[in-house]
Amino acid sequence: MGIINTLHCCRVKGATWLAVIPGEPGAGSGEGPPGGICRPWVSNPRALRKDAHGPLGETWGSSPRATKQVFGFRLARDSFGPVVTSPWARAAKAVAVLLCCSQIGCSNNPYPDAHDQQKVLYLPFATPPKTLDPAISYGTADTVVTNKVFDTLLEYHYVKRPYELVPSMARTIPSAQRLQDGGVRYRFELHPDMWFEGDPCFSLSGQSAGPDGLPRRRVTAADFVFEIQRVADPLLASQVVETFARLRGFSEFRKRLDERRRDPAFARLRVEQQYRAAGEFEGARALDDHTLEITLTEAYPQILYWFAMPVTTPVPWEAAAYYTGENGRPPLTEYTVSTGPYVLTSYDKQARMVLSRNPQWWGLQHEREHLFPDVTGLPEVGDLLASVGKSLPFVDRIEYRREQESIPAFSKFLQGYYDMSGISRESFDKVVREGGLSEEMKQKGMSLSRSVEPGVYYIAFNLEDAVVGSKAGDRSRLLRQAMSLVIDVKEYLRLFANGRGVPAHSPIPPGLFGYDAAYKNPFRTPNLERARALLVEAGYPGGIDPSTKQPLHLTFDVADTTAEGQVRYMFWVNQWRKLGLNVELAATNYNQFYAKMLKGSYQIYTWGWMADYPDPENFMFLLTTKMAHSVSGGPNNANFKNAEFDALFEQMRNRDNDAERARLIKAMLAILERERPWIELFYPEDYALVHGWLKNVRTVGLSTVCTAKYYDLDAAARARARAAWNKPIYWPAWLVLAALVLSIVPAVLTYRRERS
Amino acid sequence: MLAYLVRRSAYGLFVVLGVIFFLFVLFFTVASPDDIARQAVGPKAMPEVIQQWKVNHGYHLPVWPGAGHLSDNLLVDHVQRMIAMDFGKSDADGVVIWERIRQGMWPSFFLTLPMFVIGMVASILTSLFVAFFRETYLDRWVVALSVLAMSIPTLLYIIFGQFIVGTLLRWFPVSGFDADPAVILRFLTLPVLIGVVSGLGSSVRFFRTVFLEEIHRDYVRTARAKGASEMRVMFYHVLRNSLVPILTQVVMEIPFLFTGSLLLEAGFGIPGLGAATFEAISANDFSTLRAMVFLGSLMFIVGQVLTDIGYTLVDPRIRLDA
Repeated sequence: MGIINTLHCCRVKGATWLAVIPGEPGAGSGEGPPGGICRPWVSNPRALRKDAHGPLGETWGSSPRATKQVFGFRLARDSFGPVVTSPWARAAKAVAVLLCCSQIGCSNNPYPDAHDQQKVLYLPFATPPKTLDPAISYGTADTVVTNKVFDTLLEYHYVKRPYELVPSMARTIPSAQRLQDGGVRYRFELHPDMWFEGDPCFSLSGQSAGPDGLPRRRVTAADFVFEIQRVADPLLASQVVETFARLRGFSEFRKRLDERRRDPAFARLRVEQQYRAAGEFEGARALDDHTLEITLTEAYPQILYWFAMPVTTPVPWEAAAYYTGENGRPPLTEYTVSTGPYVLTSYDKQARMVLSRNPQWWGLQHEREHLFPDVTGLPEVGDLLASVGKSLPFVDRIEYRREQESIPAFSKFLQGYYDMSGISRESFDKVVREGGLSEEMKQKGMSLSRSVEPGVYYIAFNLEDAVVGSKAGDRSRLLRQAMSLVIDVKEYLRLFANGRGVPAHSPIPPGLFGYDAAYKNPFRTPNLERARALLVEAGYPGGIDPSTKQPLHLTFDVADTTAEGQVRYMFWVNQWRKLGLNVELAATNYNQFYAKMLKGSYQIYTWGWMADYPDPENFMFLLTTKMAHSVSGGPNNANFKNAEFDALFEQMRNRDNDAERARLIKAMLAILERERPWIELFYPEDYALVHGWLKNVRTVGLSTVCTAKYYDLDAAARARARAAWNKPIYWPAWLVLAALVLSIVPAVLTYRRERS
Repeated sequence: MLAYLVRRSAYGLFVVLGVIFFLFVLFFTVASPDDIARQAVGPKAMPEVIQQWKVNHGYHLPVWPGAGHLSDNLLVDHVQRMIAMDFGKSDADGVVIWERIRQGMWPSFFLTLPMFVIGMVASILTSLFVAFFRETYLDRWVVALSVLAMSIPTLLYIIFGQFIVGTLLRWFPVSGFDADPAVILRFLTLPVLIGVVSGLGSSVRFFRTVFLEEIHRDYVRTARAKGASEMRVMFYHVLRNSLVPILTQVVMEIPFLFTGSLLLEAGFGIPGLGAATFEAISANDFSTLRAMVFLGSLMFIVGQVLTDIGYTLVDPRIRLDA
């Protein structure tokens, strides 16, 4: 028979595209091989090894289970008893057999039963990754895979807040060395004996086979340099070029590469040969195999945070040269050759992604350097203490299943088929009561993990506008203060977000240096009377514009045309209407909204910012003159320009987290408090619902952090809970069948009577 | 017949060219290449990153032909690519679109083929059954239930099906898909069941009308008079003579077995071509959407030609003449 078994192995490591292959199992290999199994076009032993738990290599009818499930009807019929001859009796028997068989096969378990006792973490994902190439990956959907497979020189402490960097592939956190010309240098010392996972691409450099039979290679400092060169490569269009342009010679290298590529002979060279021919740059150099030197043109201590992100993971040149999307091989946007605690073993991003424990992970070979962190003495860590000092990671495999809709995903979580879940708005009341778990969830042994994400949502004014902007002087400042005073965020969060969020009094969210829980912005506590008084002072008594004798007309631009969005944004509009202002909601799609932003034709808008790294600089820079949209096309769309603020920012941004930095931040917040370019709304909160069998869970808030390597789970407890919670109920099937028979029988009897 | 087929195919070619041009106008009116690029790389991207993305995806050319770029523009590029069936890469994630089609085709096929076969057999049998018991309480009940079934939106079937069968009765997984033979039936049973039930109402009403029209014909009466059993009358004479309208419905559905069911695949998370289309709509992935719409219209045209050929096979009186 024609056998198709490629549906979720079509992105198995080293394998490439779909193959529909008839014939006998196991007969042949290579291109278009015979044999009743799925084989990659490119024969690759790594593919067969890596997905050993999956259906790769099985035939549809060859396994006992498949036979039972697919051809179950026939097997059951054989055991049903003597052959009956009456056609009616035969039909009745057939229906009964069918029902029995369907009941045997009935199960809501979405995984093969044999996997029940395995230490596998099951998680849902909604949006497939856009790319797996660390040089261009930027979205949170990508980090589901990239934060687990790509190791970095530094990482964040799992529990400590404010966030703290700790060494990972680097032995220590390097200290900044000031250069005479104003530059700054960091020197990373790498652990010895770190390896990339085995992969056919290493045959390009003639590497010998590792324990898994595939060629492999040690990680060297040159692999980090190569990745930084990839970030600079204009062809890749990386989104973080601006940050890395601080590396000395980075922009020049980028330019040289671009120019030389105009020569077709140069463009035909392999990518690493092109980089070599374009010349090294001082900003990123490998001094030897274990020493990486980074040189910046100016002080920028935040660069260290970038070395805790997948964008700076080591990438072997062999992988970039081999996985180009040509000759039947996938491109690096769909494939990984990595060093992390997990390796990607199956990648069908529309349905299923599998990450397996990397037996060659350096952390296992340097156990003393990479164990579960010592959290003794930190707050609320009682459940983590048992894991301290143990070897990571605990879970053997992570299985991601695609769930586009939140309700089915949550139903499966409640049935025990996902180990962790967010909480959809529809299910929130069922799950959370008065800030804690509902009784029903507690009885199921679940726990709730909450954390505030390092982000902020805000409403902003365009300060280049004639009415709300700086041109109108004190009058507009008072108007902005009044509008800020009537925004009731607590009520908004209660109505529209199930209370998930912390009202914001400044741009800096909790968990970051500079956040002060005691700080209360006087213009962010609702006070209608004071707001009305400020409006009078601004010359708009009762919201009336004296020039038109009509309520002051303002426009509020939002990039959301959904009915739900209208309701949410009208909440803010209605609050301003309490002041007598006539604020019009202008809802457009994102492209139209963006076009307005480009032209500067907006008055009030709302937006959010999630931090790339947990430093106050990453929030405060949003309001500097240099970043003003009207000046540089930067993200300061409020076009807030304040020389005093800029000067304080320059002093603050490169300082260590000391008392002086705290003082500078306080002074900056005072300016924002007075000038009100933004109405800070809230810091979003992340809720994770966790089953009792999953241990060591903490929400971190930064998507680039690999939290899964710290998780542990009790597979036996999970199997018991699943069995208890998912017993099928069959009686309705019999009821429907009986009703069907009873409704037909009278008609049949009448017909037979009439015929006789 | 050959002349007819040639003529019909030539008409089809003109329709395809029309579809290609219409698709271009439709998609590039909705969004400019800049909009598409910004959507793909994100709002934080710098202008040069957007420009590079446009170059990588071929959107850097002028949209319409003009002086100096008569052949070097997006319209010509689009028409050439579509005729060569080269759909390029997805705007959303850069995956080769043919690759996505090849991957998505099989889950769609696994869902739609049983749905099609079971649905067709169930609706023909039910229609024959009610036609046999015409003007009895069974006939009236089935017609009333069919109207009720037609009135319920498919989305509601999905939601209630998942809730009742998946969550309350726990017979099958609520959603998802896995091609592992150990579990594939678990995943497919519920969506197939829902697909069959949601389509049964309209099919039963249609086929019942067709059968009732035949059942009163003279040849049926003659067959009975000659002593043919009721089973033979219904399954041999009535069913055979009703095949032309049935065929019209059947053959037109065959090409869509590959393009999948938009709602069922999206609702159950089955990674087929229907889900890919649904996702392309929500992600503003215009290149994938263009390919899917083009393939859909191409298959529709092929389906029409196949239907015409099918007529000659089931009814010897029909000849396809140019």
